Amino acid sequence: MLSAEKISKRYNNNRRQILDSIDLTLDEGEFVAIMGESGSGKSTLLAILAGILLPEEGQVLFDGKDLYSLSDAELSEVHRKKIGYVPQSNFFLKNYTILENIVEPFVNTNDADPEELSEKALAHLDRLGIKDLADRYPHELSGGEQKRVALVRALLTDPRLLIADEPTTGLDSETGKIILQYLSDYVASGHSVLVATHDEHVKEYAGRVLDITKI
Amino acid sequence: MKPRRRNNLFKDIRRHAFYNACLLATIILLSIMLLAGTIVSTSLRTGMGNMQKRLGADIMLVPKGSKEKAENMLLEGSRSAFYFDASVYEQVSGIEGISEVTSQCFLKSLAADCCSSEVQIVFFDPVSDFVVAPWIETEYKTGLSGDSVIVGSDIASEDGTIKLFGQEYPVVSKMARTGTALDSSVYFSTDAKEELLKNAEEKGSFLTEDQKKSGILSSIFINVKGDHLVDGVIEAAHKSIGDIFDVVYPKKLHESLAGSLLKITGVINIVSISLGAFLVAILLIINSIIMRSRKQEVALLRVLGHTKKRLIGKLITEMGVISLCGAVLGCGLGALIVIPFGRLIGNSLNMPYLGPSAGNTLFQILFIILGVFLIVFLSSIFFIIHATNIEPYLALRREE
Repeated sequence: MLSAEKISKRYNNNRRQILDSIDLTLDEGEFVAIMGESGSGKSTLLAILAGILLPEEGQVLFDGKDLYSLSDAELSEVHRKKIGYVPQSNFFLKNYTILENIVEPFVNTNDADPEELSEKALAHLDRLGIKDLADRYPHELSGGEQKRVALVRALLTDPRLLIADEPTTGLDSETGKIILQYLSDYVASGHSVLVATHDEHVKEYAGRVLDITKI
Repeated sequence: MKPRRRNNLFKDIRRHAFYNACLLATIILLSIMLLAGTIVSTSLRTGMGNMQKRLGADIMLVPKGSKEKAENMLLEGSRSAFYFDASVYEQVSGIEGISEVTSQCFLKSLAADCCSSEVQIVFFDPVSDFVVAPWIETEYKTGLSGDSVIVGSDIASEDGTIKLFGQEYPVVSKMARTGTALDSSVYFSTDAKEELLKNAEEKGSFLTEDQKKSGILSSIFINVKGDHLVDGVIEAAHKSIGDIFDVVYPKKLHESLAGSLLKITGVINIVSISLGAFLVAILLIINSIIMRSRKQEVALLRVLGHTKKRLIGKLITEMGVISLCGAVLGCGLGALIVIPFGRLIGNSLNMPYLGPSAGNTLFQILFIILGVFLIVFLSSIFFIIHATNIEPYLALRREE
């Protein structure tokens, strides 16, 4: 489903090589975790695989098509329907409620009915134990609650591939387990998940664990 | 619990309330400045153009000692009365080098039942006239006779007549607006003078001894032939009627005022351009800050599948709504400031000031709203496009 070939990325005006000729493949229904030290390039690799950071070299094929040769409209459609992305930081629209934060970005952009999206969002929130927070505002939530909301937002359109950057970092182990179990259940329902983390607990859930220094 | 289905335009604007309030305030100031500058400049130019129409003589002879009164009357429409013996007109008419000559007689401060305030009554000779005719804006009927009148633009005549000292007079024409007290003047043919004075006396209006005389006039307007010197004609007039008159140069008055107008409009333009440039610089800074603060939001929406085109459209719509609100508020405030105090502005500048009509004002307001929208659009489009072109991951990482 996803394959990356010879991905290279440099920062600071090409002075710092963060990724050097990385190859990676991900099949349908796989749960893959990429592990490594801070600053090793995990987040950068995930962003490149998600189609939101252009690599200096290499290509990312999703369903056989290079993400970076797609038009803006085609890439946007991939992001809307096929690849969900959870960033490391929790970013929300501040005067929108939690439910609005999850649903509004997709209103008028997706074929789905907003009411259907709302019901779906509430079902996800319910399964993650935070349905009662739907009408709250982001600043009223803890880091763990915000992370779960970000996960629901990325899963709302049932993307075939979910890419999550450090989904459990900074959370207590109980909340971390809830999130990892949720990702595992998502894989079990026929989807694929790719996470970057240094949380050792992920090994209990992921089908494949990769060390970024050895890819 | 259910989120709204459509775009939350005003909610998105409120989300950046402080910066958008700064943007709105700047747009309001810009609109006020543009509207005020435009209306004042136009009104001064219109006032000047209108004055040029009524200052259509090379020289105006008035009784000795009346020069200042006559100039004030020409420029500001001040009500005045000063008199010659009518015989001087015949003597001046015969001077060589004159191409056109006509006379007028002024009566001031006659309380009349046509009007709430006192009116200036002007008698003129429609046959020789070349001063009043170019200034007529609307002609209802042709030919001014002893029993009809021409009225200033502020004189109301709903049924086509006005009543003066118990007598009804049909209105044949209306003068163009001057923005001065001349707008409440009534113009009669010289033939009507005796009967009007008689009616005025019968109705108890106070007349001076001079006004009661039949053979009087107030001023003689002269145009000099192209091949003759104005000074030569004045000298000839001195020889002919003696040192009983002062000379007013209406066209020179206009030239002098036109020079002042150029200076004033120059200052208005410089102030407007400087202030405008300053406000546009502020707009650029605010837009830059707004878009910098929204890079993460734009990046997140791109990650969630919004196209660049859609995001640019959304951001431009927000800017458009703010600029429209700002321009409408600014033009409203500008109109409230400039229109009621127009006459005061003209007086303080010591210039003829003729405010635009309602239709013209509306046109100027629409023009400024469009202009302000374009300025805001141009000052924000670069930052909007830049924000949508940043790679989403880099913008989101800056938040970390």
